[in-house]
Amino acid sequence: MIRFEKRESTSTSLKILIPTVSIILGILIGAVAILLKGINPIKVYQALLIGAYSSKYTFSETLVAATPLILISAGLIVVFKMNFWNIGAYGQYIMGAIFSSYFAIFWSPHIPKLIMLTVMVIAGMVGGALWAIIPALLKAYWEVNEVISTLLLNYIALFILKFLMYGTWRDPLSHGFPLSKPFPDNAQLPRIIPHTRVNLGLIFGIIAVVVVWYLLKKTKFGYEIRVIGENPNAARYAGMNVAKNIIIAMIISGALAGLAGMVQVSGIIHLLQIKINPDYGYTAIIVAWLAYLDPIVASFFAVFLGGLASGAYQIQITMQVPFGIVGVIESAILFVLIGSEIFMRYRLVFDVGKKKHSGQEETL
Amino acid sequence: MAEYILQARNITKKFPGVLANDHINFDLKKGEIHTILGENGAGKSTLMNILDGIYYPNEGEIYINGKKAHIRSPFDSMRYGIGMIHQHFMLVDTLTVLENVILGLKDQSFFINKKQIANKILEISNRYKFDLKPFAKIWQLSVGEQQRVEIVKMLFRGADILILDEPTAVLTPQESEALFEILKKMKSEGKSIIFISHKLNEVMEISDRITVLRKGKVIGTVNKDETNPVELAKMMVGREVLFRLQRKPLERGEEVLKVENVEAYNDRGIKVLNKIGFTVHRGEIFGLAGVAGNGQKELAQVITGLRKATNGKVFLLGKDITNQHPLVIANSGTNYIPPDRLKVGLVPNLSSIDNAILRRYRKSPIGSGILVNYKKAREYTESLIEKFNIMVPRIDAPVKLLSGGNMQKLLLAREISENPALLIAVHPTRGLDIGATEFIRKKLLEVRDSGMAVLLISEDLDEILMISDRIGVIYEGRITGIMDAKDADVRKIGLLMAGSTEEESATVH
Repeated sequence: MIRFEKRESTSTSLKILIPTVSIILGILIGAVAILLKGINPIKVYQALLIGAYSSKYTFSETLVAATPLILISAGLIVVFKMNFWNIGAYGQYIMGAIFSSYFAIFWSPHIPKLIMLTVMVIAGMVGGALWAIIPALLKAYWEVNEVISTLLLNYIALFILKFLMYGTWRDPLSHGFPLSKPFPDNAQLPRIIPHTRVNLGLIFGIIAVVVVWYLLKKTKFGYEIRVIGENPNAARYAGMNVAKNIIIAMIISGALAGLAGMVQVSGIIHLLQIKINPDYGYTAIIVAWLAYLDPIVASFFAVFLGGLASGAYQIQITMQVPFGIVGVIESAILFVLIGSEIFMRYRLVFDVGKKKHSGQEETL
Repeated sequence: MAEYILQARNITKKFPGVLANDHINFDLKKGEIHTILGENGAGKSTLMNILDGIYYPNEGEIYINGKKAHIRSPFDSMRYGIGMIHQHFMLVDTLTVLENVILGLKDQSFFINKKQIANKILEISNRYKFDLKPFAKIWQLSVGEQQRVEIVKMLFRGADILILDEPTAVLTPQESEALFEILKKMKSEGKSIIFISHKLNEVMEISDRITVLRKGKVIGTVNKDETNPVELAKMMVGREVLFRLQRKPLERGEEVLKVENVEAYNDRGIKVLNKIGFTVHRGEIFGLAGVAGNGQKELAQVITGLRKATNGKVFLLGKDITNQHPLVIANSGTNYIPPDRLKVGLVPNLSSIDNAILRRYRKSPIGSGILVNYKKAREYTESLIEKFNIMVPRIDAPVKLLSGGNMQKLLLAREISENPALLIAVHPTRGLDIGATEFIRKKLLEVRDSGMAVLLISEDLDEILMISDRIGVIYEGRITGIMDAKDADVRKIGLLMAGSTEEESATVH
């Protein structure tokens, strides 16, 4: 008979083993999907690696994809630490993009760049934070399940974006396409590596990681969310204000997701449109989990998953493998990772030679 | 042999660190109401969960109608005609009575004949005057009605042996009366009933025979007609009075805590504190004895600000602290060792450092501005570990790796080190080994000698007798008696715990 037994502690080796195995299994499951298309998966993965990391330009594209992942996952780690499941980075990212785009679209192109970008950064963070406060308040005061509220707000954000893009924010010169007018130069984040799309957003990401790390490791706020996440009863017993901390943590998480949305429109796309890749909001969940909620480790996984995404654009063109394969790999990784949680808490025990009861009934 | 419908022989169940049932023998006659009496942690619920197949014993056998039974799951126990009604109901709130009754039954066809089932439920309901509507939703029913649904569920499945785990704990007195009528009726129809309780008055009212458990062992089985509450109380709490621990002779000092006419409700909305009042003074340990569930937990929560008092006042050093924020109360000089160290007092997954600074991270030198000074925090934790001789694998290892005794030492160290005017300790030694128990009790006496006021709430009467200066007894949310520990007498305390007033218990002598 096989049974589960509670582990007393989780070893560090397991914390390395489980993400590694998850990634390998994710890649294997992706391989099966590629095989079904009749293509040699080894060649595809080879092309994917080349597409992601081989040259300066391809690696720069990996960093471009990693930037929003770094920003969003840093914020998610703050709320995940307190067992608050923000699935709404997708919507917070969209709201950040919308808020910051307002200034790029409607303000004068002659405003000094520094002022314009500062306003856009603040607007992006405010937009994301406002969208995040809604589920935080619902949870803190009415115990509404945050998984549902954050998830549903994603769709509302998407429809607000669509409403604007098919409505008043559409560029009259776009021939009916749902695009805003292009951002003027003063609303574009400066590139930091010449001839690539790597922009100031990456620096924002690095700052965010350091700030979050500091917040969690050194401050009273970090201490409180650790206690609340692990044992809310103890937190109340010690007089901590659980509701206040939920709201602050969600403001941080939403602001960083909103900033990622701002970086995407201001640094990469240079206009607002319906397709602004909010899916980063979901991928960042995987990043945070692979890193076991360590913001510094998470930034490396962000580069890894960013590479998967940018490499996938290459294989789509060169090998006719659909981009969706990355989604398959990512979801398989998350699936295995979350499934493996049980091994972090329990160990498998094999009982051998347990005597079977005799069928005969004895009488007292 | 056929006289006994159920026999348990040598049932032994071990949990890590605890012997919950120690070679228990127990017989249930056909058509009797047999009460299992014992304090919390005596092993009653473990034994019943074994009969119901939720736990499997390490040793021992169960015989049903003289034949050995193999009960490995609640499904098995149902086949043997055993039905258990848990203290926390196993009902789905959003489903109807009927749906709950047939939930999990395997012999239903794909299409359910609701009409036929409803009729059968009505028939059972009418027989015992339950007045249940098969198509009512569970959440619309009162607690008493929900309990009747549980009973119908078991009868519907053909149970001949009903186990009721502290059924009156959730009921109002009127609902309890109604339940007793039902039980008597079922008995007259040949059902056998195991009734679990620690309330002596209802035990005397309802039982035919009574088996008393203490610390996992059977103390004895008696006929109701041949016993009385005094004897039962004695059996339940134990006879041997341990020596009182050494202490400095101290005059009672100034009044530190004053509780005045406090009333409060528990999580289920039942009033559990009923105009309770007492005082605790500097340099004394005030031991509050009582059977579990008489309002002790809620009392500690009201004093520390974790639960609202709906009436009455709490004073600390003359200052009104009623319904203040827990932090305000803690800062004005109250510290608290909660009954459940893993669920409330500590954060099991965090390190000794994180746990040690729970009361200090806001204050200088550990807290400085928005930061926590972890260097100072580590030094502080090291000093606690050394002073209280706490064994930790590593200072930054999660505290769940510590033994129960060391966890409790850490918790005690943290709370005492705040040097409060009042220390509230609820079940401070529950589940600890002898060494740790002794250590904790000595520490409590030490802080008492240093002039702290200690409110000790415990179900362990031995503990209360060993270290208290004064003893109060709580029963149904009020104080039934207060006495000097030097003239305390177990018999008297046992009676007060069972709800007799001081005058009544005096006449028994």
